[in-house]
Amino acid sequence: MLDALLQGLFLVLQWNAFSLMLVGMALGFVVGLLPGIGGAATLALMLPFVFKMSPVEAFAFLLGMHSVAATTGDITSILFGVPGEALSAATVVDGHPMAKNGEAARALGAALMSSLVGAVIGAAALAVSIPIVRPLVLTFGSPELFMVTIMGIACITSLSGQGTSAQLKGFAMGLLGLLLATIGQERQSGILRFDFGLIYLWEGLDLIPVLVGIFAIPEIIDLAARGTAIAGNAPSAKLGAGVWEGIKDTFRHFWLVVRCSAVGVLVGILPGAGGGVAQWMAYAHAVQSAKDPADRERFGKGDVRGVLGPGAANNSKEGGDLIPTIAFGVPGSGAMAILLGAFLIMGLHPGPEMLTKHLAVTYSMVWTLVIANVITVIACLALLPYLALVTRIRGSLIIPFLLLLVFVGSYTANRQLADLLVTLGFGAVGYLMMRFGWPRAPLVLGFVLGKLAETYLFISMARYGYAWLAQPLVLVLMALTALIIVFPYLQERRSHAN
Amino acid sequence: MRISGAMAFSAGLAMVAAYAVLTALRWPPKAALFPLVTSIPLLVLAVVQMVTDWRALSASEDAPQETRAALGVLAWMAGFIALVFLLGFPLAVPLFIFGYLMIAGREPWLLSGALALAAWGAFHLLFEKLLHFPFDPGWLIGGGT
Repeated sequence: MLDALLQGLFLVLQWNAFSLMLVGMALGFVVGLLPGIGGAATLALMLPFVFKMSPVEAFAFLLGMHSVAATTGDITSILFGVPGEALSAATVVDGHPMAKNGEAARALGAALMSSLVGAVIGAAALAVSIPIVRPLVLTFGSPELFMVTIMGIACITSLSGQGTSAQLKGFAMGLLGLLLATIGQERQSGILRFDFGLIYLWEGLDLIPVLVGIFAIPEIIDLAARGTAIAGNAPSAKLGAGVWEGIKDTFRHFWLVVRCSAVGVLVGILPGAGGGVAQWMAYAHAVQSAKDPADRERFGKGDVRGVLGPGAANNSKEGGDLIPTIAFGVPGSGAMAILLGAFLIMGLHPGPEMLTKHLAVTYSMVWTLVIANVITVIACLALLPYLALVTRIRGSLIIPFLLLLVFVGSYTANRQLADLLVTLGFGAVGYLMMRFGWPRAPLVLGFVLGKLAETYLFISMARYGYAWLAQPLVLVLMALTALIIVFPYLQERRSHAN
Repeated sequence: MRISGAMAFSAGLAMVAAYAVLTALRWPPKAALFPLVTSIPLLVLAVVQMVTDWRALSASEDAPQETRAALGVLAWMAGFIALVFLLGFPLAVPLFIFGYLMIAGREPWLLSGALALAAWGAFHLLFEKLLHFPFDPGWLIGGGT
């Protein structure tokens, strides 16, 4: 095994594979900044270019690109409040307020370093767990996956803020997200729900226009209303100086980063759990790990722990995602399904062969994840003080470029002009939510998980009737869900008692 | 009765939920289950929040300047979308950047022109040359799509 591990490293460091990885990383860096063309879409666009490559070169190119896109997505999330990757929106919640407080460099340093730690943990998990993870994946049927989505939805309690009114608003927004997810053709009966006679709505609303509208447009409106730069009147000296502070934050809260990385790996391993769950669950875990309600109050206003958790989970998820893809040919996400196409193009068959005959190729993927992330973080760290200065540019100059980023991003996801109108509509709604104190994160969480929850519930009922409710693993997951819901209240009561 | 913005938002949410409930009641049980399970509690919560907002009416504050700024930016966004529908992205991008910087940003025309050109160059290089991304040509140029 050690031989194969070293052989994998040498394969990646060969001139051809390494230079292709750098090309992939450069592409991933650029597209990671755009909300619409995410890592998965870029993989699809670049797939035709791998035909003439060897397997190691192809995976160095594709995985280098994919892992960097996941990391750089956080940059626009923090600087402008525009999620660079559809599934990496959780970083916006605390990262952008940090930028507004003049701590952009610190937030970016924390996001990058936690991403690196997450990527290494994800890669390590991939390296050691392929032979042992099979029973876990096979244990998870639709009832268990339904409960995982419910666990994700239960995180709303942690994302809603404190007090009865905040919780009420959080739950209402979570329900609205779930309701929005029901738009379009119902998969089992074929009934068209809330389509208003529009063919565009038959497939339901796409995540990217909703997400970008809800998160990015209110920030742009706020920037225009303030009439200042993003960092407002924060002292200039703080901007570039915070990078090392952000790096140190990663190690100050190291166990939080490790735990959130573990969340990312676990969610990544489960095929069908959806990549979007990982970041939000990690964010919710970061909120829950606050010492007391007063400490929890800091989240959403620019707490670095709210950047570290999602940052770590975002990249550890990539390693976790690869586990079922390589070991069983069961892709854990859309991006992995496309990568599966690359396996077939290369004449490789995911499964036992990848653990025996092609073990060195498998380990070359592990090394690609690690090396690509290390290089990205080093390159970004060198650029960070300059990137943070973007928050000093006056709003009137930067707003048209942000709008461009938002609308081009929304369009490129599906090439639908109607997506622009959806983005604008949700932007207006998101602005009103921000203004009247309705939390936006629960809506997105409900929307991301709604379709999955309904599908798994239907399959569970059709397959097992109500008997699935008594399955042992389902009961364990129910107990965990109850714990997630009750924990913030217990914490508040304990704090009051003290 | 005076209605605050917050109360109007809660009322709007309640109306959306009520519409969802009434619509879903007409569907077969399988298709209606999930929408009903979500929209009924949403209706209840929105009504509760509406009452809370009504009680807190005196404490609510209007921010006309913020509203004007918000409407201004939303109008620019709508304008950009209209340009994209009519001319397609490749032409709408430099026109929008130039127009916004000149009119809303009150920047000098030389800087506005240079930045619009730079935005168009970056857009053209990345999407058209590098990614070969097909953009709709716009109704005026492509004759409607």
